[in-house]
This record gives sequence, C-alpha cells and structure tokens, in this order.
Amino acid sequence: MNKKQTYSKARAMFLKKRKRDAIIVWVGRTLLIVLLLGLWELLSSTGTIDPFFFSSPSKIATTIGALAADGNLWIHIWTSLYETIIGFILATTLGFILAVLLWWSERLRKVLEPYIIILNSLPKIALGPMIILWFGSGPIATVVMCILICVIITTISMLNAFISCDNDKILLMKSMHASKIQILFKLIMPNALPEFTSVLKINVGMSWVGTIMGEYLSSKAGLGYLINYGTQILKLDIVMASIFILCILATGMYLIVSPLERRYKK
Amino acid sequence: MQMKKILEFKDVKFFYQTKDSEVEALKNISFSLDENSFTSLVGPSGCGKTTILSLTAGLLTPSSGEILLDGKPIEKHDSRIGYMFQRDHLFEWRSIWQNITLGLELKGLKKDEKKVALAEELLKKYDLYNFKNKKPRQLSGGMRQRVALIRTLVLEPSLLLLDEPFSALDFQTRLKVCDDVYNIIKSEQKTALLVTHDISEALSMSDHIVILSKRPATVKEEVKIDFSGETPLHKREDKSFGSYFEKIWRSLV
Repeated sequence: MNKKQTYSKARAMFLKKRKRDAIIVWVGRTLLIVLLLGLWELLSSTGTIDPFFFSSPSKIATTIGALAADGNLWIHIWTSLYETIIGFILATTLGFILAVLLWWSERLRKVLEPYIIILNSLPKIALGPMIILWFGSGPIATVVMCILICVIITTISMLNAFISCDNDKILLMKSMHASKIQILFKLIMPNALPEFTSVLKINVGMSWVGTIMGEYLSSKAGLGYLINYGTQILKLDIVMASIFILCILATGMYLIVSPLERRYKK
Repeated sequence: MQMKKILEFKDVKFFYQTKDSEVEALKNISFSLDENSFTSLVGPSGCGKTTILSLTAGLLTPSSGEILLDGKPIEKHDSRIGYMFQRDHLFEWRSIWQNITLGLELKGLKKDEKKVALAEELLKKYDLYNFKNKKPRQLSGGMRQRVALIRTLVLEPSLLLLDEPFSALDFQTRLKVCDDVYNIIKSEQKTALLVTHDISEALSMSDHIVILSKRPATVKEEVKIDFSGETPLHKREDKSFGSYFEKIWRSLV
C-alpha cells in the first residue's frame, strides 16, 4: 500500500479511533498486571496476607534466580518441555492416523464407535496408578499420560472433519475417476486442514495438562515435580515460581502453533 | 438426416433401498440425446432427476434396463462423462490452474502436453488466463462457475451433465452465467443434459426438453424447442417463449 495516500476526513477519523482503541487495550492490559502484582507485593510486605502461604512477586523472582543459579531449574524445565513436545507429537500423529483409518473403513468406525465414546468420557487421571505400575515413574509414564489425554479427542475432531467433507465434492472426485487414496490425499486431508490447525492448538494446552498430571503422579524431575515438591516442604515460593515458568512455556508453545491456525482458518 | 445418438436410456428402472423399504424411483425411463444437442430434464421436485444423472455418470447402476453412451454401456464412474454440480466445488486450497488440471492430475495426465495445452487454451478463450494463479475465493460467482465448467471440459467428455448448476447464484448472475455456460458448451460442440426445476431456464437453454412425472418417474412428454434467438437471454424474448412455457407448465401439473 502507498503510505502517502490521502484519506478522506471520515477515513482519517476511523483510523485514528482504531489506533486509539488499540492503545487503550494495550494500556489496560499493562495496568492490570502492574496493579495486581503491586497489590500482591504490598499486601504481602505489610503482612495483610501471610507471605508464607501467598508468597510475593519479589520472592518469586528471587526464587527463580536461586533455582536458575544452582542449575536444577534447567533440568526441570527441560524435562517438562521434552515430555510435552514428545507427548504432543505422538498423540497428534497417533490420533490423526486413527482418524484416517476410521474414515477409510466405515465398518471399523461402527465397531469402534461405542468404545471411543467410553474412552473419551473416562477421566484419564483415573488411569494414573496403572500407568505408574506399567511404565514406572519417569518420563515414559508422563508421555503416556499426555498421549492418553490428547489422542481420543484428536481422533474424534479429525474424524468429524474428514466426514463432514461435502458429499458432492467426493462425487466430483469420483466422476473424475479418483481412487480412494486420491480422494483421501487430494480432498479429505487438505479440506480438513483448518480443523487440523485447531486440533494442534488444543493439543498444545492438553499435552501440558498431561505432562503436569503425569509428573504429579510420580516423577523425579519436571515442573510438575517441582510444584509437588514445593507443596510438600511448604515452600510456596517454589510452587509459585514453577507455575510462573509454566505459564511462560505453555504460552510460548501456543504462540508457535496459533499463527498456523490463523493462516488456514477459512 | 438422422442425428447420431450420444446417450440412450432404454427402459431403465431404478429402486432405492432404504432401511424400511424399497423405493421405486424410476419406472421405465426411455429417451435419447442427439449429438450436440442441449437437453433439459424437468419434473416435480424429488422425482428422480438427479438419480438419472447419477445413473448416466455411472455413480449408480440401474436395477434393470440399459444406458448406452456412444452405443456402449455406461461403466462405473464413466470417464466419458463430465459432471457439473449445483455449486462449483472448487477446491479453495488450490489455485485456479490447479483446480482446472485436477482431473488430469487424478488420471496421471499432468505431463500430457496436448491436454495441458487444451487447458491453457480454454482458460485464454474464456478470459480466465489472468486469474490462473489466483485462489477461487478471489473470483466472482460467475467466474467460479466458468472455472468449474472448464475443469470438466479439459477431460474432453462426450457428454456433459449439469445438475442445476445455476441454482446457487443470484438471479442477475444466473442469467449471465447461463449465457456464458451455454456459449462455451455450444462453441466447444458438446452434448449436454441439464437438470433444472426452472422452466424458463430449461426453455432458454435447450432444444429438447424431457418432462418427467412424479415418483416413480416416467417420461411424460418430450418437447422439441425451436427459437430464433441465439443466446439464452435472447431466447427469453422470443414470441413463442410464453406458449412453450405454458405447454410445459401444464404438462408438469
């Protein structure tokens, strides 16, 4: 676009208003966090709330500094991060493949339908103790938890996207002599791309849930472990610091995936 | 001179199977299309017009009777047929060029120079060449329908099936696209079978109208149309348009 373009008065006012609205939103956001943190710090330092149970922003910052200095923090971050990423990738791939198989064979779909519904309704955390017995306490158990949480919902969402493809489009492909595999790769899959990106976004959040749940159950490292550990020794600073780091990591992963969604959303 | 017959329906019956019963959709349908003719099928809604198209395209098989294309029986998913649907069904993730060459790609003919040249020629001829690399959403409804038509023409079908291809368009666009599609089909010398519930549309486009009864469908009447006008829009102005309209209307109800 040409920057020197001259606008009508109405256009100029419209643009000005838009800009002003954007500034107000930005200022509002900043103010909110500053106020909340400030209030928290103030109440905690004056003793209105007990800093032992509620910690404070400055104590959280010092704790993060200390944890980072002794090097343990990086191990915990790294453990949770790779568990989440591996869980995310495996669950998404597995769920996708399962959805393709169920799309391919209507008979298989009908056979498995009730079981998928049951598995989807089951709260996965109930399987926790069994996972520990079968996979031990460590990264593998956590990744399994991650997969359990994400895989069924991935399958259901992708299958719905595959099935909702316009029947006339399939007839069009058939009238051009397309084979089933061509219909899958040239129509069904690209047609489901917007839904796939939504699934990616949901799975980022869900795989963090899986990781933290897995680490709560039993683990020797990770942010979930750190939160659990902090609670047990009543060091709320460690708990809060871990949650803060978790926020940053989860948001970071979300920000990596969400531009994909915006790009492919119809 | 006797015209060559492209499509022949001989005593075709068709039953639908549903959970509760067997539904007779078509009861001995017989008609034929001359080469380069434009035929419309009209009939009350739900009478089985689309079933006839699906049978012709080999997407369904008749319960009894015979359908011949160029004297040979229809095969499953017959590749001598081009099918145009109610909506253009362009694939949004593909460019116009990729949409037009979809059929070639599916048949492994993307390297076939003659076919590719034909695709380019059609694009140029019908003013779409400049939009070659655009995505379908950047085109108007009328242009999209033209792209959909070219997509089928690239495969050089012996017969074009049009299943209410204008029903999703607003009236203004519809008249214009009607003209466009008609002109393309005539200049490419294709035989076409149009399904529509719009009598004026059938009249303005075709030279032969087959009127179906309600389900189970039989051929109620066949009408030969002869207008002086050149394009569908001009034909609508012909003096005999009204009397033809009335004749078909009466036959339908």
